[in-house]
Amino acid sequence: MISGRGRGGGKIRPPRRGMIGGDASDFETQWDILCSALREIHTKNASTLSFEQIYRASYKIVLKKQGDKLYDRVKEFEEQWFGTTVMPKIRSLITPNLVNITLGGVTGVTANERRMTGEEFLKGLKVSWEDHITTMNMTTDVLMYMDRVYCTDNRKASIFTTSMGLYRDHILRSQLTGSDLITFDILNSVVLDMISMERDGDVINKAIIRSCIYMLEGLYESDEENESEKLYITTFEPAFLNASREFYKKECATLLRDSDASTWLRQTKRRLTEEETRTQTTISMLTSQKIAKVIEAEMISSHLSEFLAMEGSGIKAMIENDRYEDLTLLYQMITRVDSTKEPLKKALAERVVDLGSEINKTITNTDFSNVAGAAEDGEAAESADKSKAPKQQTAAAKQTAAAIRWVDDVLNLKDKFDKMWKKCMNEDLVLQTALTKSFSDFINQFPRCSEYVSLFIDNNLKGGIKGKTETEIDAVLDKATTLLRYIQDKDMFERYYKKHLARRLLHGKSESADVERQMISRMKLEIGNAFTTKLEGMFKDMTMSEDLTSGYRTHIQNLGDLDRKQIDLGINVLTMNYWPMESMGGSSSRRDDGTQIPCTWPNEIQLLQESFKAFYLKERNGRKLTWLGFLGSADMRCSFPKIPGKEGVLSRERRHEINVPTYGMVILLLFNDLEVGETLSFEEIQSRTNIPNADLARMLHTLAVNPKAKVLTKDPATREMPKPGDKFGFNASFTSKAVKIKAPVMLGAVNRVEGEEERKDTEDRNDEHRGNVIDTVIVRIMKARKTLAHTHLFTEVIGQLATRFKPDVGMMKRRVESLIEREYLERVEGADVSTYAYLA
Amino acid sequence: MASSSQKQGSSKYVTLISSDGFEFVLLREAACVSKAIKKMLAGSFLETARGDRCHFEEINGIVLEKVAEYLCYNHKNRNREDVPDMDIPPELCLELLMAADYLDT
Repeated sequence: MISGRGRGGGKIRPPRRGMIGGDASDFETQWDILCSALREIHTKNASTLSFEQIYRASYKIVLKKQGDKLYDRVKEFEEQWFGTTVMPKIRSLITPNLVNITLGGVTGVTANERRMTGEEFLKGLKVSWEDHITTMNMTTDVLMYMDRVYCTDNRKASIFTTSMGLYRDHILRSQLTGSDLITFDILNSVVLDMISMERDGDVINKAIIRSCIYMLEGLYESDEENESEKLYITTFEPAFLNASREFYKKECATLLRDSDASTWLRQTKRRLTEEETRTQTTISMLTSQKIAKVIEAEMISSHLSEFLAMEGSGIKAMIENDRYEDLTLLYQMITRVDSTKEPLKKALAERVVDLGSEINKTITNTDFSNVAGAAEDGEAAESADKSKAPKQQTAAAKQTAAAIRWVDDVLNLKDKFDKMWKKCMNEDLVLQTALTKSFSDFINQFPRCSEYVSLFIDNNLKGGIKGKTETEIDAVLDKATTLLRYIQDKDMFERYYKKHLARRLLHGKSESADVERQMISRMKLEIGNAFTTKLEGMFKDMTMSEDLTSGYRTHIQNLGDLDRKQIDLGINVLTMNYWPMESMGGSSSRRDDGTQIPCTWPNEIQLLQESFKAFYLKERNGRKLTWLGFLGSADMRCSFPKIPGKEGVLSRERRHEINVPTYGMVILLLFNDLEVGETLSFEEIQSRTNIPNADLARMLHTLAVNPKAKVLTKDPATREMPKPGDKFGFNASFTSKAVKIKAPVMLGAVNRVEGEEERKDTEDRNDEHRGNVIDTVIVRIMKARKTLAHTHLFTEVIGQLATRFKPDVGMMKRRVESLIEREYLERVEGADVSTYAYLA
Repeated sequence: MASSSQKQGSSKYVTLISSDGFEFVLLREAACVSKAIKKMLAGSFLETARGDRCHFEEINGIVLEKVAEYLCYNHKNRNREDVPDMDIPPELCLELLMAADYLDT
């Protein structure tokens, strides 16, 4: 179609006049065209108009520099249109009822009616808005040239924006006749009214509200159209939030009055989802966070503590009855309002401590109900009469059982909370810390925790793990470790553990050396090397002793000394430092200065000892062996002669193998040399054996009173505890069904709860030990720092000792005093705060 | 808006008509580079009703031809680089400029 025009020699032709539109170019003519076109557009008759023609008209006006005039005319036209056509329609929809609702007057109108009129109004508004948008889109299109050239050049808002502003001012903000309300107020109140109807369970037309909200989202406070100045945000949203706040405040109050915490949780949850959906379907997503905040504030935060405290449904009941669902909800709710979860933390901690203290109390109470004498049983049994002895044993056993129960209870409680924490709390770390802390609190409140935990482990290692699979054993050890973690006074625990371990090892009570080792390595991980070195040393001693025993046996065999009365020796060589001598029963055989009272050994034994000593020292020079009579046991073969003139068993000679403690053996050997019918007095025995009185009495009780191994007679033959003045003889008429008899020992091999005195003793010793530890730590710190203020020193000491125990401030003060006395430290004169200096 | 849906279905092409009656048929896609043409055809105005025919009563055939050529050229080369310049006769420069302004191309 390219015509035959040639290249016109480079001459630039001026544009033809026609483009600018010469004659028909005067403003009014063009405006007439535009004006009528706009009217057609507004009445939806655009299809009869030629876009090009209208566009050209506006183009020309703008070209003639009359854009401003055009702009104003269009505005005027819109204003007029609103005034004459749109508003009257909307006014007609605003019934007095709607006005009344807005004013807050409660009329006798039913919700249904209110809804109907409201919907009508919203519909009308929506239609007017949508019409406005369509027409304005078209108008803007037509006036594109004006927008592009005039508005940009003169920095005017586009005609579209302006017309939106006009809609806002002339429709939404138009004053209603007869009141000072504007359409906007009506709109807000109608929407809010509808939402509140929905909250009450009515069905409303969400779509229509949504459209109106869209409208508000599309309109701005000013023509600058700042995002933050959407009418929705400036006007509707605050009103909505206020109304919601009121509503939820009321609802929460009602719930608080009429319902329980469980309902409250569920209702709150439901409301939250409801509002979330509402922001999606009915109003704007912009509000979703804010309305959630409102609910959180009004429904959760404001009365949280009241709901938590509710009798029968509050947190107490939830925990008690394992209401995991409720707890999960509660956790979610609280997490919403408070990232520190303070209230939940507090409530949980309180519950833990409450339940824990209950456990503590039950145990303490059983202790008391179980014969007051239980406290002073065992070693303290001097005072007891015979009939009481077995009872005391059972009391002790009961107490031990109670200790185990305490541990079990604590573990159960821990399990319960752990399960809850996993199931409901999303394994929240903050809460875990809180739980751990409160567990630790109540456990440490219980003065015997260290002992009981150690007993628990003892019990398990002694037999509790028999027949269990590895995983089960692991679980038990895990539990033990968990508890251990909670214990503050680790040194106390160590003391008990050592004691219990010593008994287990020496009496061969341990179920599995492997498991023992596992436990130790766990403790090592948990508390550190220093804690377990002594325990490991004990194990080493045991293995060494085994080697020694077998070595010694071979040694004896090699001597070929077969004619000698053979005594088979099994020996345990214990390193003094590692083993808790006092608590193994040696306390009674110590003199006041702490040295051992040696027992007078029978000849046979002395020979044996010499022989072993020679063997032992052959390879280990310079060591000192001390023989501990209060430990160990001996198997003795005894023969009881037939007694003439008796029937049955007594008429035959009887041989029995009796297993007695070492002291028992020493005593019995005395009777070997005795003539029939001769007796030894208590004092005689004592002087010939040098066994401490208490031990002797107990031993004789076993041998002369207890029917099971009554190989001695006692005069007077009462069941009372043997005492100085009593006489003992060989019981020739002893009978027993078993060939092998184990003499029951009143005390010793069984690990059980300590008595009061014993405990006091342990504690004293522990305190003494602590004192030394504190001394060491203070000196170490001061050596490094030279001078240090009092408070700093104390914080440092507490910090360094944290893994072992919590030092008592009073004790620390005393230690400092004593160090000053011993001239390790001195007070710095003239310092504002009391300060110490290290004396080299 | 019945016409617009019909438009959607019916034509890939639009017709531009000059003041002196020349008709140029081109791809809608190409023509709509001009915002004016785009708006013209987007609304429910007479142009749409008449079957996507746009009369430009103040642009003559010669200029409109160049305009159409440019629209095609632009469309054809829309995704390329290093395109040769379009040949624009100097004598048409001003008129073309005005047309471009008018059509917002």
